[in-house]
Amino acid sequence: MNAIASPCSATNRLPAGVAALTLMALLLVPHVGLPGNVIRLLLVTLLWVATSLAWNLLGGVAGQVSFGFAVFYGLGAYAAAFAINGGIHPYVAFAVGGLVATLGSILIGIPTFRLRGPYFAIATIGVNEAVRIVMSNLEITGGASGYRLLMTGRFSQGEHYYTALGMATLAFLASWYVMRSPFGLALRAIREDQDAAADLGVHPFRCKLTVHALSACLTGMAGGAFARYVAYIHPDGVFSFATSISILLMSVIGGLGTLPGPVIGAVVYSIVQEEMAVNFPQFHLLLYGALLILIVLFEPGGLVGLAKRIARGVRGRLTGGPGEPTAARVPLPKVES
Amino acid sequence: MTALLVVKGLTRYFGGLAAVTGLHFEVNEGEIFGIIGPNGAGKTTAFSMIAGSLPPSAGSILFRGKEIAAWPSHRIVHLGICRTHQIPRPFTGMTVYENVEVGFRYGGRRSASRGPVAAGIERLLEFTDLSPWVHTPAGALPTGNRKRLELARALATDPVLLLCDEICGGLNPAETQAMLALVRRLRDAGITILYIEHDMRAVMGTCDRILVLNYGEKLAEGTPHEIQHDDAVIEAYLGRRALARPAGGLEGRV
Repeated sequence: MNAIASPCSATNRLPAGVAALTLMALLLVPHVGLPGNVIRLLLVTLLWVATSLAWNLLGGVAGQVSFGFAVFYGLGAYAAAFAINGGIHPYVAFAVGGLVATLGSILIGIPTFRLRGPYFAIATIGVNEAVRIVMSNLEITGGASGYRLLMTGRFSQGEHYYTALGMATLAFLASWYVMRSPFGLALRAIREDQDAAADLGVHPFRCKLTVHALSACLTGMAGGAFARYVAYIHPDGVFSFATSISILLMSVIGGLGTLPGPVIGAVVYSIVQEEMAVNFPQFHLLLYGALLILIVLFEPGGLVGLAKRIARGVRGRLTGGPGEPTAARVPLPKVES
Repeated sequence: MTALLVVKGLTRYFGGLAAVTGLHFEVNEGEIFGIIGPNGAGKTTAFSMIAGSLPPSAGSILFRGKEIAAWPSHRIVHLGICRTHQIPRPFTGMTVYENVEVGFRYGGRRSASRGPVAAGIERLLEFTDLSPWVHTPAGALPTGNRKRLELARALATDPVLLLCDEICGGLNPAETQAMLALVRRLRDAGITILYIEHDMRAVMGTCDRILVLNYGEKLAEGTPHEIQHDDAVIEAYLGRRALARPAGGLEGRV
């Protein structure tokens, strides 16, 4: 009965191969003479991939929908910017950004995780706004007029690109590891039914605080890389509520709680953003709203869920039998009454 | 026999409503102790307090002499107390295997070492007759299987004291008999069982001792035979007129 013991074997080789090939292709990107603008788009996309993967651990796997991840993105960006201007090596500065975001996540998590479901979500909106306003008025960060990084050495887009690729890879590996670990199992149990999980010995508060810290750390590091790339950050950019929404939206578009979901979601989001924001500056927000409603109504599993459903349909058509039970798809986090 | 669980003066108010008041009882090691009572008698409330899902308003709960009242459930489970839910609460998006795995990995008594996880889960699924559904999402299971999954998941925490909340509710007679056989086998394997039940026939045939609750208070306590012939119990279940009839006790009437 070894089939029970190892549910992941041959079936997981294909996705692993796809991931490895994608990584190799991305490593080659700066060397194939693509226009600078395309590399820039890829770089930004990779940072979004890192952030949405990080958010997905808390929001998708553990089911704690946070509308406040701009806080960690911004904290990481500002902390890294300060460190870089203080003469610390950029790569160390990213770690500082991650660390500051982690500390922030613990301070925010301790009170907000007393709340559940929609109440937790609302609290995170409040925290996000409060932090943004504080940062807009804080003298040492330059307040609302923003903070500028001192540029040393020559600007190398390739290096920035590899930094972003590193962040995305790190977030991917962290997500992969958590999802297949006993810790990931506990997080999913908390998403499904927190009280039942506690009855079986899971410590919900500790688990949520831990995954929140991990998500915040990865987000903060990505924020640091972003700050170094753009060299100028301001509270209405990195700390804005729109940033929080974007981070959340990417996972929802791609497929909550899955590994490929946030990656696919971030890619789709970045491309749509690039096209729409230029041509229809206001219209793209409307589009996201409509998209979110459509996804929640018709395909809570996101693009990954849709793909699975189509695959099931095709397989069912070929074999003439019914597909797998639909309960296999990942549900949205339950809204508790 | 020694008392494994001692409950003293256990009380719980919901606002002004007294759901359970001044409840006293002792559960001995190795017995099946039943708690019965009409709807709203406070059975599940008492249960939730012992399992740590609900903090008591007053009173004490001693497990092996240790005060555990108001402990959170994730701590209590590590002492070896685990509950099942009246309405099964499976992790619907996870497979049957993963459901049991949660209890196995997180619930164990800290001291006990129990060998490889997969073999242990496999054994539990076999015991509860769930082997054919190992990789089925729990949300796709029908009621009978969900009830057994609830039991398998609780057993995965390696309990000393198992709290079963209406484990036969919603089952057909054949399923009920199978479930009761499982419960008796668990008792024979040394697990003490605290058992809430509505189905009188199930309780009478299975429990070693029974506590009857009514309006949050103890109405009677004793062996099934004593309970069946207790006037206060007959009155609470069947009404005053039933008491006036000459026939002996509850037998054959429920």
